[in-house]
Amino acid sequence: MISIRSLRVVYKPQGIEALREITLELPVNNVTCIIGPNASGKTTLLKAIAGMLSYEGAIYIDGREVRSNIRYLRKILSYAGNMGSSVDYLGARVIDILLTSRYPVAKGFSDTEEDVEEVHRVSKALGIEHLLYRKISELSSGELQKVVLASALVKNPRILLLDEPDTHLDVAGKSWLSKYLEELSRSLTIVISTHDAVFACHTCNYFVVLSSGRVLYSGWREELIQNKEYVERAYGISFINVEVNGRPILVPLYES
Amino acid sequence: MFLIYSLTYLTSKNYPSSSQEYRVLRALYSSIAGAVLAITGCILQSSFRNPLVDHHILGIGSGALFFTYVTVLIYGYNPSMVTLIAALGGLTSLALTVLIAEKISGSDIAYVLAGISVTSLFSGLATFTMYYVQVKYPYASVLMTGSFILSREEQLPYTLIPLALVSIGYPLLSKRLNTLMLGDENATQLGVNPRLTRLLSAVIAGLSSSIIVSLFGLIGFIGLISPHIARFLVKTSDNRLVIPVSASIGMTLLYATDLFSRTVMAPMWGEVPAGSIVSLFGAPFFIALLISRFMGRRT
Repeated sequence: MISIRSLRVVYKPQGIEALREITLELPVNNVTCIIGPNASGKTTLLKAIAGMLSYEGAIYIDGREVRSNIRYLRKILSYAGNMGSSVDYLGARVIDILLTSRYPVAKGFSDTEEDVEEVHRVSKALGIEHLLYRKISELSSGELQKVVLASALVKNPRILLLDEPDTHLDVAGKSWLSKYLEELSRSLTIVISTHDAVFACHTCNYFVVLSSGRVLYSGWREELIQNKEYVERAYGISFINVEVNGRPILVPLYES
Repeated sequence: MFLIYSLTYLTSKNYPSSSQEYRVLRALYSSIAGAVLAITGCILQSSFRNPLVDHHILGIGSGALFFTYVTVLIYGYNPSMVTLIAALGGLTSLALTVLIAEKISGSDIAYVLAGISVTSLFSGLATFTMYYVQVKYPYASVLMTGSFILSREEQLPYTLIPLALVSIGYPLLSKRLNTLMLGDENATQLGVNPRLTRLLSAVIAGLSSSIIVSLFGLIGFIGLISPHIARFLVKTSDNRLVIPVSASIGMTLLYATDLFSRTVMAPMWGEVPAGSIVSLFGAPFFIALLISRFMGRRT
């Protein structure tokens, strides 16, 4: 369980208030989706939960406050955001990145058998085993996206925070990711952010709608689809409700 | 192995002649200097996430040299004083480079540009003071180009300080530097403080390379090219492997260069300083690296 109590985040030098009055309860072993327009605070919320920013208020994970239990959380919680272009500089290979990503749980100076096994297990599950010895700089953006996901999974976390994991993936990739996250969520608590309402409706059970740093709505998928005006208000455009394979999906209506 | 051999050789004190002692010392010093500079190059490149830097390019070298001269000018050649103040001088010039680079944009090219300006400032100052220093200490000009011609036994403890520093730094920093390559944000997420790691790396690399410069002068490019050759050879960026491999490359390169300068060059033109020979093949390498960086960026 992730509980957030009156969270407020201010970015220091400019004094921009990125999040305010956030109070939420996010369900365990489910995929929670944070949706909202650009600059609504999605990434900030994920980073705050991951203990990567200073904030006011409180965030509890399994009853432990994030800031005071940061060492413990590094072992059980993974955040995967943008890898950035800084990685390729020194000729790092995929396997270097994945082994390094086990830093909080790896013991000692050298890689253990367990470290190597875990890296192979995750990359096999993600279908990137053939990329392990390739340089990061040689990967396509879709392949890189999978490496980023793998780097979050190699330390075998219980909580997975993914910032826009579906960007750079094609439709087949999104469909695969949706199914994969759903499978993972049987034993993992997953929180993602995305712009793609179709992807979100396919993948996530619980929704948080953010707008200008505040929570407009939070609830289960079925309730959200009945209250789609919250999503419409957040984005400022209309959505229609379509049923696909017996599952209601929100589809944005482009202005014409 | 070589280190152990030469150290036992020196301590056993039963070498036949002083010229033999000189040769062993010189081989030892050039090897240690090569290894230390290569490791500092690795540490600086990974911590600044910038393949274009080493102690020379970031201005540590010329800063340390200038402060060496100033110390000699004030106190005469007092080895411990020179070592201390040169180390502080190297750190000061590094700090100056970092400040300027971060002011410009913080990009890898900004670091090179800031480093070049700080280097020109301090080498200008160093050249200027050298003429005054030469009166007190006739070998001052030797430090300008980096040479092991002045290898003396009393330098031994001061040579071992940087070696000890980088030897402590290697187990302490390798894994942390690996996480820094994922970007500051991801390093934080893995539980590594990027700023603290960078500071510690800068202090260890700055101190050890400055001390080497205060003893043997400016030796550029060894620290730049050795890590690149190492990464190319072992096909990974993992510092746990890259640091020791590039240390042995730096060691071999500088020892070979010094050997070349005193055996092949000396009878023909007189002894050419090792530092200038290193620049001879290091500079084209740096140019190639710069070009490949910009070509890579366009695609």
